[in-house]
Amino acid sequence: MLDRGSPDRPSTASHCLADVERLLFVEAQHLDDKTWETWADLYLDDAHYWVPSWLDEYELVADPDTQVSYIYHTSRAQLRERIGRIQSRKSITALPLPRTLHVISNIVLTERDELSVDARSSWTTHVFDPRTRRQHLHFGTYEHRLVRNADSYRIARKKIVIMNDCIPTVVDFYSI
Amino acid sequence: MNIHHPRERLIDDRPSDKAFHVSRDAFTDPDVFELEMTRVFEATWSFVGLETQIPRPHDYITTFIGRQPVLLMRDGEGRIGCFLNTCRHRATMVCPFKRGRQKFHVCRYHGWAYDSAGRNTAVTDKADGQYPAGFDQADRNLLPVARLESYRGLIFASLSADVPSLYDYLDDARTFIDLVADQSPVGQLEFVPGDITYTFDANWKLQFENGLDYYHFNSTHSSYVDILAQRARSGDATGFTTELADEVEGQGSFNFRNGHAVNWSIKKQVRYGRALASDPAGLAEVRSRVGDIRLKWMLRQRNLTIFPNLQIIDISSAQLRTWRPLAVDKTEMTSHCLAPVGESAEARRFRIRAYEDFFNPSGLATSDDNVMYEFCQTGYAARAGHTLGHLRGLDRGQGTRGDHARELGIAPIDDAFGGSGFGGETNFHPGYREWRRLLEGGAMEAADA
Ligand code: FES
Ligand SMILES: [Fe+2]
Repeated sequence: MLDRGSPDRPSTASHCLADVERLLFVEAQHLDDKTWETWADLYLDDAHYWVPSWLDEYELVADPDTQVSYIYHTSRAQLRERIGRIQSRKSITALPLPRTLHVISNIVLTERDELSVDARSSWTTHVFDPRTRRQHLHFGTYEHRLVRNADSYRIARKKIVIMNDCIPTVVDFYSI
Repeated sequence: MNIHHPRERLIDDRPSDKAFHVSRDAFTDPDVFELEMTRVFEATWSFVGLETQIPRPHDYITTFIGRQPVLLMRDGEGRIGCFLNTCRHRATMVCPFKRGRQKFHVCRYHGWAYDSAGRNTAVTDKADGQYPAGFDQADRNLLPVARLESYRGLIFASLSADVPSLYDYLDDARTFIDLVADQSPVGQLEFVPGDITYTFDANWKLQFENGLDYYHFNSTHSSYVDILAQRARSGDATGFTTELADEVEGQGSFNFRNGHAVNWSIKKQVRYGRALASDPAGLAEVRSRVGDIRLKWMLRQRNLTIFPNLQIIDISSAQLRTWRPLAVDKTEMTSHCLAPVGESAEARRFRIRAYEDFFNPSGLATSDDNVMYEFCQTGYAARAGHTLGHLRGLDRGQGTRGDHARELGIAPIDDAFGGSGFGGETNFHPGYREWRRLLEGGAMEAADA
């Protein structure tokens, strides 16, 4: 039986909620602080980064090879490609860059083995665009697969579900 | 209702003077937008869906024509119908879902029922209703659209009966639909599952123009061009063409009747792969069926616009996108990854990855376009006189002509061809001419091309 933690004992047998939570919060801070190189360092070289689209009102895309996703990357190099495009300031989507604020909660752990743990959480990102003075909110769930390496975690997989999927103009790694 | 703007103010189109200007008001005036809804979107052919979206009896999807909700469905015999999605009792939207399969659609307000052929099959408590005489004879069925026709599985509907047949309406733009559909061994197109919907805060005609605009690529998409160059350096990209050594490289366009146009490019070296080329057996099968010339054209980048609401882009992947104008400065886009039915799993995987790479609000190129439309919308509010953005290609004396139309066996009403920096803008003209004709109430006038 998998240990999902509880308020008095917020851990699985091998993984401590506080450690996982710290990684998720640090990841969010790097995204908001635009320290994206460091953000990408949290990912393993062959990490999967997946933002599925919706098939209909209820069902998400399940197979990236036969269905369309917003983003489906299978290496950290692809994340770096996205980062480079924004940091070059040649992408008009970065003229100017929006300010973002990620908030993460409702973290539930599912232990896979001693070294690896899955974490599901809820997220919202507030996005403010100084060009248009528009603000909007993206929200959904994260599913992280974390792998412990020495005393820190790295991200082997991240699945981002966007619940409000009528996208205003642009969505990119920093706003989800 | 009279158009507030004299026609010379909305479009200044003087072919003999080599002049073509589109007024800023065309992008910013809410009165123009109202007329566009009633006289363009709700009065001519609109793309509404693919036959493969509703393959079985009783399958349906819902969408919009202009501002009007419609329900597209197959009846028990497999016939396709398209109906205004509004109850004949008191207007309620009959079907609130995006897609599904139902023999009957029951209005949730008072329970009137309709079958998948749109027939009213039940009026709740009719006998107790003390209806006036004649109620039984009244037409209570869902209201069908005025015209509904398909070409190569692409379904179009018109709310006005006063339109030519779809075949005639599409004119030789049909060939460019064929060039996509014939990539399938069974001649059919489908959407790869997964819905992408997004909005931008700008006029729909910015999308209409952009889909025909090669001029913007290197500047708007310079960050994407850098990525392509980087991938080419690291050997990640596999270009493939069947262009012969003596082919003249460049960019061209064909203009067709009724507002449609396509632009295309000829490159002997390509920095991105093609789904069609990623499967040698599939490619050989297509070649044996369509021949070398059509295959060559299938491998050329082609951006097709069917006026007023459809674009099909066939590059590394294929995209079919439609738009629904929500306001003079707000547009909703629906984007699909378009695919030939029956392609190999490997080609399909390539197609999906390439589609996600380029298109959509999350893609590395389209996201820049979307923001650019908003820059344009802000800029159009300036009362800075007419723009100079529809002129490239007007001086044909400088152009290079080719046999491009002849080898495809088509007769466009106009064409253009130039070097790799040409970025012609005359391919916007047929859309604007059709737009003006419809805004003026559809009166036919001599097309002055
Ligand atoms: S509005 Fe549909 S049954 Fe009354
Ligand atoms: Fe573009």
